[in-house]
Formats: sequence, structure tokens, C-alpha cells
Amino acid sequence: MTAAASANKTVFTTDATTNELIAERWFDAPRDLVWAAMTDPERIPHWWGRHGDVTTVVEHDPRVGGTWRYVSRGPDGIEHPFKGEFLEIDPPRRAVQTFCYDVDGFRDFVSVTTLELTEEGGRTRLLDRNRFATAEQLAGAVASGMEKGQAETYERLEAELATMR
Amino acid sequence: MQTDPLSATFAALADPTRRAILARLATGEATVTELAAPFSMSLPGVSKHLKVLEVAGLVSKDRDAQWRRCRLEPAPLRDLATWLEFYRRFLDESFDRLDDYLNALQQPKEPTDDRSR
Repeated sequence: MTAAASANKTVFTTDATTNELIAERWFDAPRDLVWAAMTDPERIPHWWGRHGDVTTVVEHDPRVGGTWRYVSRGPDGIEHPFKGEFLEIDPPRRAVQTFCYDVDGFRDFVSVTTLELTEEGGRTRLLDRNRFATAEQLAGAVASGMEKGQAETYERLEAELATMR
Repeated sequence: MQTDPLSATFAALADPTRRAILARLATGEATVTELAAPFSMSLPGVSKHLKVLEVAGLVSKDRDAQWRRCRLEPAPLRDLATWLEFYRRFLDESFDRLDDYLNALQQPKEPTDDRSR
């Protein structure tokens, strides 16, 4: 693939009323194919993880109540385990599952991811809504301190939220 | 009850009064009395909230017993920002890779037999 092959970009927004980090992205592929790539355990290792990660699907039971566990190994050799549970599956339109970065300090933060696929003219729009029980608290803290915030933290958080908008 | 530092941060931020206190401290140091002023709340009530923020490491108090000024401690919030950034980057790069993968899947198959040479 050449770098110019695709001009698609993920657009991040936050919704303070639902505590969600929302990722929207178009793919130049029909919905059935996008669904297959995202849910077939054979295909998941082809894209899951950050650039340079190699992902192994350890467990993948796509039924309501079923669980999944993937391990991504970074270029530095460090393994990043992720896990979750399938809450809803409606191929090829919608899936709801929990997401957890299963390492100390992070595993208590389970987000609920709602994935929705819609097709238009042979292209597919992916809407990935990540609901954090706790993101609202962060957003609240940032929003309330933003006007006059002097602390380095608030600047960093503001910059971070700006990138999500 | 107490788990990891990030959980403590989130728990401390879960209350609107405590978020308002942090927002006030983001503009500069303040005494407990000053912090209590905007709230219809007793000083002990505000002190209780401050204690939670202190335990989470979000607020520190002056040693000076006379003034007891409170200030915002940015480190725990930085951990939070780090985590969110990790998550956002993870999604972003995964979707980039998915895009590439979908494009590769849709490329016409390369002839694999000898005649292609």
C-alpha cells in the first residue's frame, strides 16, 4: 500500500452528556467486508493495535456474554493485553462490547464500546463510541478549570481534548 | 478499598463540589475559607472534600498552620491524560491499519503462476 492510497482519517469527538469518546471513520470498502475484518479472529491480527504491534487473538467468543482477549506485542517486545465481553452482536450493523487494557493501573477502567457500521455508495462509515464511566469526571474537571487554568495539567488536558474535538 | 492511584483520582473527581474546588485551585492557591465561600456548605464539609482530594494527591496544603493554603497538584491528572491519550492513539492507529488492510483485501489478486513472469 502506498501512503497516498487513502485520505481517510479518524475524527474524534467527545460527548459530555453521554461521557463518550467518539471515533468516526470512513473506509473505502463495503460494510460486509469491514464487519468481517473487525470481527473475524483470523483477520483481527491484521489491524488490531498500534503501528508496529503484533497481535495474537488468545480468546474470541462472539456471543452475548462471550469474552475476548487479545495480546499486542510492541516493537519493544512489551506485551499489552486487552480483554472484554461481548454485550450485543448484530452483524453487520452493530456490536457492543467492553474494553479493558488489562495491566496494573488501567484494568479498573472498563469502557463500553458501541460499534456501528453504515454503508453509503459502497463505502462504510464506522462509528465507534467509547463510554467511560469516568471520562465525564475528567471532562468536568477540565471544563470547569479551563477558563483561567494556570496549572500545567490543565494546559495539557485542554490540548488533549482539543485533539479529540 | 484503596486500589491504584488512577482509581483514586477518578473517585476524587466523581463529585461536582470537588471538581469545583479543583477548578478554583487551578486559578491559584486558596485558603479553606476562600474555597468554602462559593458553596452553601460548612467549613468541615469543605474540609472533608479537601481531605479526599489530598488523599488522591490532587491537592496539597501548606505546612504553615496559620495559613493552610491549598494548592493543585497536577501529577495525578497527568496520569489520567496519559491514559486517555494512550487509548485515543490506540484507536487511531488501529483504524489506520484497518484501512490499509481493507484496501489490500480489495486489490486484484496478483497472478501467482509461472505465466506472470
